[in-house]
Amino acid sequence: MNTIKGLLLKDLYVFRNFKNNFIFSIIMFIALITMGSLRNDIFTIGSILFLIFFGMNSISSFSYDENADSDKYLLSLPITRKDIVLAKYLFVFLNSFISILVGILTSFIITILVRGAVQNLGDSLRICFLAFTSVSFLMCSNVPCIYKWGVEKGRMQSVIIPALLVFVLGLFASLLLFLFPQIYLNFDLAYIFKISPYICLVLNILFYVISYSISYKIFLKKSI
Amino acid sequence: MEYNLEIINLTKNYQDFHLEQINIKLPKGKIIGLIGENGSGKTTTIKSILNLMAYDKGSIKIFGKDSRFLTKKEREEIGVVLDDSFFSPILNVNDINKLMKDFYSNWNEKLYYDTIKKFKIPCNKPLKEFSSGMKMKIKVLCAIAHEPKLLILDEPTNGLDPIFRYDIIELFNDFVSNGENSILMTTHITSDLEHLADEVIFIDEGNIILDVPKEKIDNEYGIIELLEDNFTKVDKQDYIKSLKYKNEYYILVNSKDEFQKKYPKLEIRKPTLEELMLMLVKGE
Repeated sequence: MNTIKGLLLKDLYVFRNFKNNFIFSIIMFIALITMGSLRNDIFTIGSILFLIFFGMNSISSFSYDENADSDKYLLSLPITRKDIVLAKYLFVFLNSFISILVGILTSFIITILVRGAVQNLGDSLRICFLAFTSVSFLMCSNVPCIYKWGVEKGRMQSVIIPALLVFVLGLFASLLLFLFPQIYLNFDLAYIFKISPYICLVLNILFYVISYSISYKIFLKKSI
Repeated sequence: MEYNLEIINLTKNYQDFHLEQINIKLPKGKIIGLIGENGSGKTTTIKSILNLMAYDKGSIKIFGKDSRFLTKKEREEIGVVLDDSFFSPILNVNDINKLMKDFYSNWNEKLYYDTIKKFKIPCNKPLKEFSSGMKMKIKVLCAIAHEPKLLILDEPTNGLDPIFRYDIIELFNDFVSNGENSILMTTHITSDLEHLADEVIFIDEGNIILDVPKEKIDNEYGIIELLEDNFTKVDKQDYIKSLKYKNEYYILVNSKDEFQKKYPKLEIRKPTLEELMLMLVKGE
């Protein structure tokens, strides 16, 4: 457990380097959300903005590790490959999770202060959770690419592979609808949206478990 | 004899490079220097020991156990310095201390900070602002501050000034003085091994071409500098290698007393490890 804590700290120290940028960006976002809230309820947009801007920064920790060839050194310490991959996934998850959480809290407070209440809070939170799941999908398809090809070389693959996965899933869904059109007729979108947090929860677990397994297998075979 | 590290018939085949049947036995209380040109196989050997890459044949035992199956506790008994790899340069000395405390249950914080103070290393400056020598000091300190039994050092004196090289050689000598600890170190600064190594292993193009106790090099090997007239008078069977440099010939012998008996007028001197390496690689 201490090893994982140490590895998470290592990545957190890298973030400390961007402390001023983060503070400046947060102030900018707060100002933007406040100004936006004067005209409309932008609780959802504000929350998602935080997620998109801060939630995917964890990729930079891979860059720093790659530049310092840190994995080689870490593996010479009493640290296993499993520890390294697990800690990275925890870091990626925590980074996205904290980003959306801070986004939701900030936007909520601003909206309450400016507009007195958030419209359709439940639906807004559902949309935030959907956005969080989309970011999880993107991150979980990116991380194995980084383990396979590295941050620099894997840049192209990190774009192509998620796009390809979306395309294949879309094709599969279209084919399903073509073969079984009754599915479309019985499709209750409102109900799906209502239970979307549960679907998102399952999808998030699936994305992380599958992605972690792939990355671990890649890293296990990798000569450092 | 008890060994902290045993490498038996280690073989690794790449498309254009082969590490062939490497055998190294590092007893307790001893220092082995692994020398060789760049690309000779030193780093491949170190990487194999540390399980950073898979090897094709052979076995590596650390503390008598297959190195691939060491527990975390057993791995805490190993200290490592890698020339080209460390923490991110954004980190400072205090950050590294906090991380190492999490990685090692036996991390000696007092020893770490006492040595940091002794080396006059600033605690809040990021590593990127240090000279390569300073960084190497921190790497060496990280390798010893958890009081390991075995040190695996890849070019540990690289970038160090002569004064610190002297300090570090003293530090390594102290480390093995208890008779239990051992060091395997690679270096291309062969002069560092002159006063440090108990055994010297010379690796060339993936093969060990020399594996001798340092004492034997000091007592039995010799170098003779000759002009062409004298060189032609020496029987080829009486020396191992010869090398022509400018107008002089250098010959290497591995039994200087016998050579001296046969050629009493020729002056023999002790070879440096650098000369030995040069003669073995470039000599005929």
